[in-house]
Amino acid sequence: MDNPFEHATADAAGGNPFAAVAPALQREPITFSGRGGEYFGIWIVNLALTLLTLGIYSAWAKVRRLQYFYRHTTLGGSAFDYHGDPRAILKGRVIGFMLLLAYNVSFQFSIIAGIVVAVALAAVMPVLLMRSLRFRARYSSWRGLRFGFDGGTGGAYSVFLKWPIFSVLTLYLLGPMWHQRMKAYQFNHARFGSAHFTIDAPVGAYYRIYGAAIAVVLLGMATIGALLAALADGSPAVFGLAPLLFILLLLFVQPYLSARLQNLVWNHMQLGSHRFESAVSARRLYLIMLTNLIGVVVTLGLFLPFATIRLARYRLQSVTMLCAGPLDDFIAGQAQDAAATGEEAADLFDVDIAL
Amino acid sequence: MSTSPSDPATGVAALYFDGRSARAHAVTLNVSDGVLHVESDDVSRCEPLGALRVSEPMGDAARLISFADGAHLEVRDHAALAHLLAATGHRDAAVVRWAFEPRMVVIMLSALLLSVWLIMQYGLPWAARATAPLVPDSAMTALSERTLEWLDQALTRPTTLPSARQQALRQTLSSVASIEGQPIPHTLLFRSGGQLGANAFALPDGTLIVTDELVALAGADAPVLAVLTHELGHVHERHGVRMLLQGSATALFMAWYLGDVSSLLAGAPAALVQAGYSRDMEREADDFAVKLLRARGQSAELLAGMLEKLAAAHGEGQASRSGPMGWLSSHPDTAERIARLRDKDFIIH
Repeated sequence: MDNPFEHATADAAGGNPFAAVAPALQREPITFSGRGGEYFGIWIVNLALTLLTLGIYSAWAKVRRLQYFYRHTTLGGSAFDYHGDPRAILKGRVIGFMLLLAYNVSFQFSIIAGIVVAVALAAVMPVLLMRSLRFRARYSSWRGLRFGFDGGTGGAYSVFLKWPIFSVLTLYLLGPMWHQRMKAYQFNHARFGSAHFTIDAPVGAYYRIYGAAIAVVLLGMATIGALLAALADGSPAVFGLAPLLFILLLLFVQPYLSARLQNLVWNHMQLGSHRFESAVSARRLYLIMLTNLIGVVVTLGLFLPFATIRLARYRLQSVTMLCAGPLDDFIAGQAQDAAATGEEAADLFDVDIAL
Repeated sequence: MSTSPSDPATGVAALYFDGRSARAHAVTLNVSDGVLHVESDDVSRCEPLGALRVSEPMGDAARLISFADGAHLEVRDHAALAHLLAATGHRDAAVVRWAFEPRMVVIMLSALLLSVWLIMQYGLPWAARATAPLVPDSAMTALSERTLEWLDQALTRPTTLPSARQQALRQTLSSVASIEGQPIPHTLLFRSGGQLGANAFALPDGTLIVTDELVALAGADAPVLAVLTHELGHVHERHGVRMLLQGSATALFMAWYLGDVSSLLAGAPAALVQAGYSRDMEREADDFAVKLLRARGQSAELLAGMLEKLAAAHGEGQASRSGPMGWLSSHPDTAERIARLRDKDFIIH
């Protein structure tokens, strides 16, 4: 089998100091080796134990699930790994559950209580989301080097509170811009070892993708309306089909959005001087999602682990890293040197809320 | 990976990462005297086995052996590693082994289905019974008001029963509605049943609703009263709240599993009406009704006869249309209940 590091080290050892000026990009595809049958076992054991422990085991289940996906994802012949501590995740889940419960129950008591809780939630949520990003990054690794996230509180309030309000106030006209800012916050503050991620996806590209999706939805709704009106011919019973057709329409648009957005983000991302290429086809994604849905419905949910694997495989294997230099050159970041002592502190403060 | 198949004589092939750079070192692993030896041209490291952590096996994925200082080994030669691990006495956690054994997966699947059934059958009813007394009256009132609103809007119409008849029924019910000297708070309302037909409902706050059709079917006051004492039983035992709690717990679980909690409480009124009572709850309410009837010197036959009439009035086809909380579809074992009420040795537990 082809050994990526040997190539890479050979290039580096070639010692051409000018190679860096116009580096020949080497393609490193991301591969995924997870199998539905295998994941089914993990899924069912996780589900059974979660149920038997009234949800407490779900934190351990999450760690095992993520480890399965991370370790089956390889780049340059090496697997990713996930190191999250289930106890920290459990704590995060308890907090998340209480917040949701408080939100749902408070409106039952009085409008005032509901508003107080909603405002408190809005004030806390950005910080929790920031911590969640930090937690996920800090406990992910590749070749022994940790990822990291240094996004600050100000940025979190901007993208998780200010921009959502802006986009609602403008009837989501600023929605795509919010999405762009969110991705920028998420990736411009992300690190791998000491190398920084950057993203330069222009806001116009987000508008084009969302614009196309909305155009398809409007066109589809008009077609459904015309079709039903023609079919109905005086009997309004036919309009009962409208919700079903609308769901089919959304099922058609969602893979398009998800494919185009993944491509947009990864094709405009850089890690140090390395670039990425993502080539998800909306049509392939649509076929996978549709067959997944049919499988899950027909098997009353038992196909779910197979569906998850199929989707993950396609989305991950569509990404290729365009390496400007040897992958061996990544080194640990500053924060990681302190990791041995910093880890307990991180466990105390970082919560992972599943969002 | 170019790590060549391991030769037992030279050790297990692996990649070593020092945790400070992404550079991979091809190494071989050997264990002797409880110490792992990592050897290659540029790496030489010995570590007692107790200081190492081996990742769980996950199919074909590489297994990782981690050192305390952040360095780790990536092993893809599973057969050789399994051999090495067996020699050191390492055993994977049971939970992990289960996930990859077809037999255990089948057992887990069965255990899962069994536990879901047990929880639905016994766990939830028990928990609902324990928590129902904790639900504040204000919540029950609010819920009942919303449910009545929903009923009036969707199903029932204003009553056409003469107010004198209404008043008479209310007065008789008040004289019956007490247990162990304590009056049971209740409000009796009359409605035209519409598609519900001859029917009676109890809302958690003690609101009883009886349809004109049921009053007409009964003919006299006494059988109506028998039905209402049964409904009072549902109120007294807090059956409505218990069903709702059970339903909410199920909905909460589903919402958590499917990841959407927001729509949870919106459906409460409809859920309350559609939930229906369990067979045990019907028995409890029957027992309660007979207790009240006997206290007044009346027989259980009143309720049994009324049940029979209702069953006949709704018939097979109409039962499904009467709504799940109506007297028939939520009372699937009507014949059994009638027989039980008519049993000479009928003793209230």
